[in-house]
Amino acid sequence: MSSTTDNDNRPGFAVTTTALAVVVFLQIPVIVVVLAAFSTTSYLTIPPRGLTLAWFGKVLTDPTYLAAIRISLLLACGSTVISLVLGVAAAYALFRRALPGSEAITSVLMAPLILPAVVIGVALLQYYSLTGLRGSLFGLLMAHVVITVPYIVRSALASLAGLDLAVEEAARVLGANGFDAFRLVTLPLIQPGLVAGALFAFITSLDNVPVTIFLIGANQTTLPVLIFSSVEMGIDPSVAAVSTLLIVATGIILLIADRRAGFHRFV
Amino acid sequence: MIASRHGLMLIAPLMLVLAAFFLLPVVMMLPTSFREYAPGAGLVPGVWTTENYARIVTDDYYREVIWRTMGLGLFVTLACLLLGYPLAFLIARGPERWRVPLILLVIFPMMLNLVVRSFGWIALLANRGLVNNLLIQLGLISTPLKLMFNLTGLMIGLTHIYLPFMVLMLVAAIRNVPRHVEAAAATLGSSRLHVFTAVTLPLSAPGILAGSILVFVLTISALVTPRMLGGPTYKVMATLIYDEFMQLLDWPSGSALSFALTAMAIGVIWLSSRLTRRWAGMA
Repeated sequence: MSSTTDNDNRPGFAVTTTALAVVVFLQIPVIVVVLAAFSTTSYLTIPPRGLTLAWFGKVLTDPTYLAAIRISLLLACGSTVISLVLGVAAAYALFRRALPGSEAITSVLMAPLILPAVVIGVALLQYYSLTGLRGSLFGLLMAHVVITVPYIVRSALASLAGLDLAVEEAARVLGANGFDAFRLVTLPLIQPGLVAGALFAFITSLDNVPVTIFLIGANQTTLPVLIFSSVEMGIDPSVAAVSTLLIVATGIILLIADRRAGFHRFV
Repeated sequence: MIASRHGLMLIAPLMLVLAAFFLLPVVMMLPTSFREYAPGAGLVPGVWTTENYARIVTDDYYREVIWRTMGLGLFVTLACLLLGYPLAFLIARGPERWRVPLILLVIFPMMLNLVVRSFGWIALLANRGLVNNLLIQLGLISTPLKLMFNLTGLMIGLTHIYLPFMVLMLVAAIRNVPRHVEAAAATLGSSRLHVFTAVTLPLSAPGILAGSILVFVLTISALVTPRMLGGPTYKVMATLIYDEFMQLLDWPSGSALSFALTAMAIGVIWLSSRLTRRWAGMA
């Protein structure tokens, strides 16, 4: 293939300019929120009238925000760990074809992704009201497991699919029992994909409003639900400040994940 | 091969959790959707009715909300396709060293909290928001444009939120188009535009379909952005369901609407999988 035909497939000036404009469009609300968080005025102006860190101080000393941050992190960590254990076990069974009807089972495991989140939310609202789980942390945790586990199963299945079964068999021949062979051989091999899946699950839990909002109790709310209801009351720069903290945290997690696991390859 | 007994032990915990906290709750909503609700009194005992479903197709207000939801899904999908394709093309075919930074700039807003992103759009689009202030300062308009609590606001916000999904689907599809087929067309005298319309575009069609279905289904299911940018009055199906359950406490009606929304989402996915199978059959 000659280099001229290669160049013919390259994006031209018009495409490149449009594409870069779209990338800017994607970042605009992020930039606006960060600028608002440092602004001295309670409404937004561009350029900001003055810079202050006061809103961050207000957020980080506000017990309501701190409690919401704690519950959000608890739910995200808890549901990711539970989903990892349940999801990897299930994916491994499917991969080893230890069960009949594995395709049907896979679609059941993926169903929470297809159903609109608001439908899962109201279904659990009625169910929890009947069983007395409404407002309980356990109920919230299980709801978050349901919405995060498909991501784990999907990434585990994808990672396992690229695996050579012979490696694990070799470990078995050399005397490892089934669990050791999985733990010492298979698990390290699928680890990068699992890290990406776990990260996706973590962020999905941390992000969730449409299921959580129906299930929270009177005295416990998650951070996104708190921001959601504060915005309905009216815009306040402390919302921008807490949002900025989330933006920075997301950015750092994303960069670390990309360094460690080559995250961009798994999306 | 490991024994079925072991397989069952590995998969049973997850299946039990999904049965108890997903399947059963959804199935239990079915009887509720056939009950009658009396305002202030709750469910009328012993009465079963199909009225909640009938109202969805006959009531003018419900019909308006459903058409609005579908229209929004269609518009947002088209917008994502038009904005997403050039970016996906640049990522797939542009300079190698741009690829990872560009992908990260696409993933970053996608990973970012939905509430935070919608909040950013409120700050931009509100009556005294940045866009209106800027236009007034420049003397282009004298009264603020209405950019929120209407179709415009929802279009902008939802397009921004689901664009990354479309881009990632399209990148994968464009990468799968064999370069040598494009090169062959070019060698045979096709112009760049013709190579694109006759080779690249049709060969990336499966990705276009998959991305469109994903964006359409996500858009018609969206609750947070429509609620934040549409306010309490400009409703779509998901926000209507929210209000039926949380404000009006009319659970039967909300349950029927939930099943209608689910049927729309699953219907679209089913149609597209049939379409894909037919395409695969032709190839």
